[in-house]
Amino acid sequence: MTYLKRLPRFEYLGPQSLAEVCGMIAGTSRDEVMLLAGGTDAILQMRRRERVPRRVIGLKGVAELDFVREQADGGLAIGAMTTLRTLLASPVVGRRYDLLRETAAQIGGNELRNVATVGGNIAGALPCADMSPALMTLGARIRLSSGRGDRWLPLEEFFPEFGRTVAADDEVLAEISLPPPASGGAGTYLKFHDRHSMDMTVVGVSAYVVRDERSRTFGDLRLAYANGAPTVFRAKRAEAVLRGRALTEEGLEEAAETACAESSPRTSWRANGEYRLELIRALTKSAIRQAWEKASSRQEARP
Amino acid sequence: MMNRDSQREFQVLGKPTPKKDAPQKAAGRAEFADDISMPGMLHGKLLRSPHPHARIVAIDASLALALPGVRAVITGRDFPGVRYGNLPQTRDYLPLAIDTVRYIGEEVAAVAAVDEDTAEEALDLIRVEYEVLPAVFDPEEAMKQGAPQLHGQSPGNVSAHTESHFGDVEAAFAQADYVREDVFETQPVKQGMLEPHACVGLWDGFGKATLWSCKMSPYAVWRQLAMGLDIKPGDIRVVQTYVGGGFSGGKQEAMPMDFCALMLSKKTGRPVKLVHTMEEVLIIGHMRHPMKIWLRTGTTKDGRILAQHVKLLANGGAYSSIGGFSIFLAGAMINLPYRVPNMKFEADRVYTNNGFCGALRGHTVVQMCFARDSQLEKIAEDLAIDPLEIRRRNAIQDGDVTANGFRINTFAFDECITRVAEMSGWYNKKGKLPKYRGIGFGCGAHLSGARLMGHSASTAEMRMLEDGTVHLTTGSTDVGQGVETVMSMIAAEVLGVTVDDVHYLKVDSAATPLDPGTFGSRVTLFTGNAVKQAAEDICRQLAEVAGERMGVDPRDLMFFRHEIINRKDEKQRCSLKEIVRWGMFQQGRIFSGRGSYGYSEEKIDFRTGHGNLSPAYNPTACAVEVEVDPETGRVTVVGLWGADDSGTPLNPLAVKGQVIGAAVMSIGHALYENLIRVDGKVMNPSLRDYKMPQATDLPKLADFKHSNVITWEPEGPFGAKEAGQGAGTGVIAALANAVYDATGVRLTSLPMTPEHILFGMKRLQAQNRGQ
Repeated sequence: MTYLKRLPRFEYLGPQSLAEVCGMIAGTSRDEVMLLAGGTDAILQMRRRERVPRRVIGLKGVAELDFVREQADGGLAIGAMTTLRTLLASPVVGRRYDLLRETAAQIGGNELRNVATVGGNIAGALPCADMSPALMTLGARIRLSSGRGDRWLPLEEFFPEFGRTVAADDEVLAEISLPPPASGGAGTYLKFHDRHSMDMTVVGVSAYVVRDERSRTFGDLRLAYANGAPTVFRAKRAEAVLRGRALTEEGLEEAAETACAESSPRTSWRANGEYRLELIRALTKSAIRQAWEKASSRQEARP
Repeated sequence: MMNRDSQREFQVLGKPTPKKDAPQKAAGRAEFADDISMPGMLHGKLLRSPHPHARIVAIDASLALALPGVRAVITGRDFPGVRYGNLPQTRDYLPLAIDTVRYIGEEVAAVAAVDEDTAEEALDLIRVEYEVLPAVFDPEEAMKQGAPQLHGQSPGNVSAHTESHFGDVEAAFAQADYVREDVFETQPVKQGMLEPHACVGLWDGFGKATLWSCKMSPYAVWRQLAMGLDIKPGDIRVVQTYVGGGFSGGKQEAMPMDFCALMLSKKTGRPVKLVHTMEEVLIIGHMRHPMKIWLRTGTTKDGRILAQHVKLLANGGAYSSIGGFSIFLAGAMINLPYRVPNMKFEADRVYTNNGFCGALRGHTVVQMCFARDSQLEKIAEDLAIDPLEIRRRNAIQDGDVTANGFRINTFAFDECITRVAEMSGWYNKKGKLPKYRGIGFGCGAHLSGARLMGHSASTAEMRMLEDGTVHLTTGSTDVGQGVETVMSMIAAEVLGVTVDDVHYLKVDSAATPLDPGTFGSRVTLFTGNAVKQAAEDICRQLAEVAGERMGVDPRDLMFFRHEIINRKDEKQRCSLKEIVRWGMFQQGRIFSGRGSYGYSEEKIDFRTGHGNLSPAYNPTACAVEVEVDPETGRVTVVGLWGADDSGTPLNPLAVKGQVIGAAVMSIGHALYENLIRVDGKVMNPSLRDYKMPQATDLPKLADFKHSNVITWEPEGPFGAKEAGQGAGTGVIAALANAVYDATGVRLTSLPMTPEHILFGMKRLQAQNRGQ
């Protein structure tokens, strides 16, 4: 039975700095050591005995991982331990990255958002994670830190397979960095679940549109999916369908079809793969349209 | 004398009155069973079967007992091996399994330790050797020859069978202008109470066992504990704590945890507490029966029902619980709220290796109403009759006697239909709403307490205190529905005092009178009548003293605003308190009132199904408006309008809460809730994954209206009938009918998921293209 049990026994470490964290995980394996961010998934995994680490390293004391900062280049840097609540309350996020705000607001309830972190949502590597699709379409890069130093990579290269990341055992996700929002850019995240109130994602679609004002065409389009495949992924062929074209019903249909072809959603007791494909088709169209309309209305509203 | 049975203006009743315990609950001061702490108290945990069906070969608890902090481990062999249960013919449950487990989650052993974590750790150290047996999960499979047998005494795994036949169904079908058959299926649904089961047991060194627990029906528990422990009921005391929601989710009977708390206490000499986690609540038994309902109806060409034939198959799970009555009730309620002159009912409840089923708000009436009112809508469509008109043509009226012998006093069904049509704007909406928006109608009925073969009489006792306030005790419990308040209101009305002058005590089998407790919408009517009588009894005693002191005929006295008044000369009056004190201090009187309500002068024949099951019956009607997203199939409930004949609402505020609550639970049943089981294993045992509706899933209050059609039920106390269950019975069919109106998709199985709706729409589109 994988029902919930009490927490397993483990040694708890509470480092205060990233350097300390890197020191603690150097030379350890993933089974031996677990990094604990908000714990909203990790605690359940331990209680189900899916993970039984010997040592748990709690990151909540590492203040240097908890920040939301505007960058000199106009981009945004988010510390991995930033809670969804902090993200939601951040003025710069509200002002310039409303796709992030919109996404975070759809995750769980207040209690969960008070503890769940951006980094935890990403590093858990679950296909149903909501932040990853939104961040991918915003062009996020992530910083992995270890005793060996830092390395940066695009978020879309982070998930090689279900439940895994490319991070080495001695690496910790430290920061997420976003480029400045593109002129004429706007995004939306559509998350579907059976019930209206807070619920797990059946399918989530993030669409980010860069509208070319002069030609009134898609200057750029990025699409990423939660629960569209064993990992969160970008549907690059579907994106390419619309680039350089104006918004038309046929174009949307074609992009949605292509996105379906790129997806491989699974059947589980939560939903059938066949139904998830229908959702991908429908939500892709709606998300692109809504992002397009947002981008257009912003361009029109500009003085 | 103090006969207030006329429809005169009430002093206390009929006014919206907040629940008396609301301040305690809001302040977090209400003591629930899990809040109890006693010196030396131990914590218990239950070991559950990982197999859906297995023989227990051996249990070795030596490692668990050796764990520091563990005080005792018990197994089924520590109990006398006496099976207990609700109905004499279906006693099949043991405090802990002895040689066989029949579902994943069944209790196998229990541990008491110094804290919860130690107790749980000890569970991992108990070695149980199982011989896994073949299991069966589907009732149709379970009935086949060669299927694994769950209980030796029930060949074919039939846990209960019931049938009834009134009139002549075959002849009526032969005469009918129109006949149709449909099959409907429903899913397992849990109660969703927020307080998990919890108890504290203390078995003292002198043979007396006390259980503190959140029980809806403490006396049923009391009797079952005596049965399973094989001791005298008199040696057991059951003390009710606050109940954080009941809905018959196990709090109406003795559960393995209750037996184990007592037995562990006996072994250790310490009080022992057990509290279920929400996950345990969701994996163990007690849920609404999943059903397959085959329904055949014959009508005249103007839509009058001539006959209905129902075959019902209920997936009962591993044990009986109240299941025998569950299927009986489903058949009986075919007779309401429509006239069915000829009816035939055949039902089997079948054992399978799943968590077992029992009652849940609305019991089995809910499933039957979903089937019947969904089908009625199809009939109306086929015969081109307005859906409201077909209901009116078949509506039961005051004074009817149904085919199975229900005697209907008040039944304002026509008026319920009319009000809902008005409130919902039915005639402006039906057929006129935009695409993907739809409105549907659904009706149902309920009874105000069932007269069962066993114990069904309610009793009340009341004791006057010297300050003119009273202690009121009954065997009925407040499970959040407002019993404390409405019983106090009834007493206050008769005594001419305020609600706060009545102290409603919780049930304690050592002190409160015997009463079956809270279930089946019986309390307001049954216990309410007993309370009214008890109050009248005290008034009689007080009037005797007052009459003597005032020189007035006691029969002329009335009780009003803390005074006793001569009705013939209202200037002649004295204060209630003065008379109480005079009687107590000078005459040594004890003012103590008793009342009872049995309504058992006539018997129900449970073999034929004939008899007047309840003193009163109430109809309900509702309309639901939905919007369906054509891209995803997701339903938004836009509005819900309901009307009920709950007789005369004694506390309109509580009635409103009850009817809205019942409707909301039915929305959950219709759209979201489903205990998903794969090979007997519950896949969604958390309130994250078992999806109950939340505020944002419901229509805004502006579009969520309810109307009481006020009647004066002669059997009810001050004209009242039930309000807590009936209002939910029509909602599911109304939703199904609304989804059909919005999309053309007719769903006959629950829940109506977005996936089913979307693929239904796609099939229809494909058909239309094909034509």
